[in-house]
Amino acid sequence: MDLNSTPKLAPGCRLHPTDSILLIPEGTLNLTGPTREILSKLDGNKNVTTVVTELVAQFEGADAKEIESDVLNVLSRLQQRGVVRA
Amino acid sequence: MSSISSNPSPQPGSPLSLIAELTHRCPLHCLYCSNPIEMQRAETELSTADWKRVFQQAAQMGVLHLHLTGGEPLARRDLPELIRAGRDAGLYINMITSGVGLTEERLAALVEAGLEHLQLSFQDIEEMAANHIAGTRAHAIKLALVPVLKKYPLAFTINLVVHRMNLDHLEEFIALAEELGPDRLEIAHVQYYGWALKNRSLLMPTEEQVMRSLPIVEAAKERLKGKIHLEAVFPDYFGSFPKACVGGWGRQMMLIDPAGQALPCHSAAVIPGLTFDNVREHDLEWIWNSSSAFQRFRGDAWMSDTCLSCPRKEKDFGGCRCQAFMLTGDPDAIDPVCSLSPHHGLLMELRVSQPEVLPIWRD
Ligand code: SF4
Ligand code: SF4
Repeated sequence: MDLNSTPKLAPGCRLHPTDSILLIPEGTLNLTGPTREILSKLDGNKNVTTVVTELVAQFEGADAKEIESDVLNVLSRLQQRGVVRA
Repeated sequence: MSSISSNPSPQPGSPLSLIAELTHRCPLHCLYCSNPIEMQRAETELSTADWKRVFQQAAQMGVLHLHLTGGEPLARRDLPELIRAGRDAGLYINMITSGVGLTEERLAALVEAGLEHLQLSFQDIEEMAANHIAGTRAHAIKLALVPVLKKYPLAFTINLVVHRMNLDHLEEFIALAEELGPDRLEIAHVQYYGWALKNRSLLMPTEEQVMRSLPIVEAAKERLKGKIHLEAVFPDYFGSFPKACVGGWGRQMMLIDPAGQALPCHSAAVIPGLTFDNVREHDLEWIWNSSSAFQRFRGDAWMSDTCLSCPRKEKDFGGCRCQAFMLTGDPDAIDPVCSLSPHHGLLMELRVSQPEVLPIWRD
């Protein structure tokens, strides 16, 4: 996972319409902090840089570098878990 | 027993998953079938409208996942309609199938209706061996189905059912699955309920077999990380403490059988004296909160003093009720898997192989 990757949710994984959980085959993942926000931006076309830019615009005053590393971190972990594809 | 805190009838939280056994009709005759031996006939099955109502009630109660199973769910002609109803209600739709009868045309219709996850079970790497277990030519059909499945936007799990006769081939088994490239791979040991109980001594692996398999699974998990999500469930026969299968009795899931009876667990019918309420007569919420079968092992009033005073009771809830009953004759007994059970010795006996037994096939 890097800034040029175009991540998306793996098949059979989707966000719960209202709660901070990801519905996955055979269960759920609880999404903490901004994870839901990050995942809701993935569409398989945007790259990570675009996702970060959008989040920076949305959370005024937040540190762009920090957001970038958080996003990469979250996405890599979820990729290892098999619920995000890059 | 005033020193022991007891919690006789707690308010249940809401269930998270609903298992809908759409039919008991099935083209296969697995040695390890865990369906009840008294199967329900097609005429007694719930109607399309009944199932739709049940799915809506489930979603309203907070259920997230709907597991469509059987028998073979494909035997229901109204399957796409049922899937769509579940999705419209807001449920996540999972289906467990043998794949027999699943043409590309039917698959496309199911995905279009909202199917999100499909689970296909495999019994063995060699077709001959596979057919020995499943009793039909299902294996070749499944292999041919995999490339078709992968064209569609749904999660696809391969389920490897392992037991004494194939556990020694686990490495090849995993390699085959890897080639097929599912999103998930589940390795599950046969559970000894229903029909499988009759074949228990034939199917139950030896302790050495299980020990040999552990590092193989760990190595595969590492190797497949980020590509295939591997989950392996080991039999609790070899442990010292029981597991809380499906999260405990009446705590997380509800199963509706083909005729509409609501059960707290897929094998609950083995326990004598339980009466199951029917979704034809009651709504799901009433059943969940008030049905006597669901209340039977909630809380800890029924537990032995050993469990009552044990800190693990909040984790394993005293273990499996069905197993306790089947091995000791007493559904309130401590699960014999627990080393504190006076019947734990029974498990020690079962671990020993009895290789000369013959299989019992289901008609
Ligand atoms: S004594 Fe009961 S609660 Fe404690 S581990 Fe054994 S089965 Fe579980
Ligand atoms: S009673 Fe046994 S079989 Fe039934 S859900 Fe509990 S652990 Fe599983």
